[in-house]
Amino acid sequence: MSFTDADLIARVLALEDQNAFGELVRRYQSPVRGFLTRLTRGDSHLADDLAQETFLKAWKKLHTFRGDAKLSTWLFGVAFNEFRGAARRRKELTLDDAENLPEEPATAINPEWRLDLTEALKRLNSNERTAVVLCCQNGLSHEEAAQVLDCPLGTVKTNVLRGKEKLRKWLAIAYENYESA
Amino acid sequence: MNPLKTNDPLDTLLREQNQYIEDNGFTARVVSALPRRRARFWTHQTFLLAVTVGGAVLAVRWLPWENLPAFNWSALLSLNSHLLVPWAVVVSVVGALVWAAVSAVQEED
Repeated sequence: MSFTDADLIARVLALEDQNAFGELVRRYQSPVRGFLTRLTRGDSHLADDLAQETFLKAWKKLHTFRGDAKLSTWLFGVAFNEFRGAARRRKELTLDDAENLPEEPATAINPEWRLDLTEALKRLNSNERTAVVLCCQNGLSHEEAAQVLDCPLGTVKTNVLRGKEKLRKWLAIAYENYESA
Repeated sequence: MNPLKTNDPLDTLLREQNQYIEDNGFTARVVSALPRRRARFWTHQTFLLAVTVGGAVLAVRWLPWENLPAFNWSALLSLNSHLLVPWAVVVSVVGALVWAAVSAVQEED
């Protein structure tokens, strides 16, 4: 018998049921870890540490989850706050450090399109990358992403638009290089 | 608008890149790091509050309130031991009870 998220949340809140919470972690560990891996530009160790902190925070704050959004959306919000907190604590992880990178990606020919996309995503600034990852990879609506990021809807739309424009441009360069090789 | 509903090839590429991450013990690590169950916490807090209430009852019952000298700042500042010692006892008992009550409440955070 499979429990719904609401059933599991109710068990956690009423009984402090760690097994029920474990099932929620099992369900959402992949999107949360993937999201944080992209925010940390592929640092999977840091992402996993942040993901663990995210779920520990979720355990403590689950009573504040009102159920008016999807649990995944709420977890992305907790994860983003953890990332932002870590970025503030760690000088080397400032939120907009990608602004200092050159606009054009390295011209080295890369036969793997997806690898190029990974590299291109890393070059977006933090706000654009977060918006693109949430909306285009994790399927959140712009409204849900605005809720996660606690910013105006227009800002999310702009960041998605700008981020995708840059990705198209950079991927086209990489693809041209691949074609001419 | 849900971006997933578009036919943009870039969206398709981004979605394809978003692959499932195997658990590999992550859930077990999270569950083992969860803080102690609140049931135990409530037991501890209830015990602390019960002891505090018990102490307050005993203090009200056993302290010689009727023999307590009237409070007088000038006598107190003159360090009169007949006034100072009984009031020091009262202040210590009340202080201990307040401290216990505050500790019990603060543990919730």
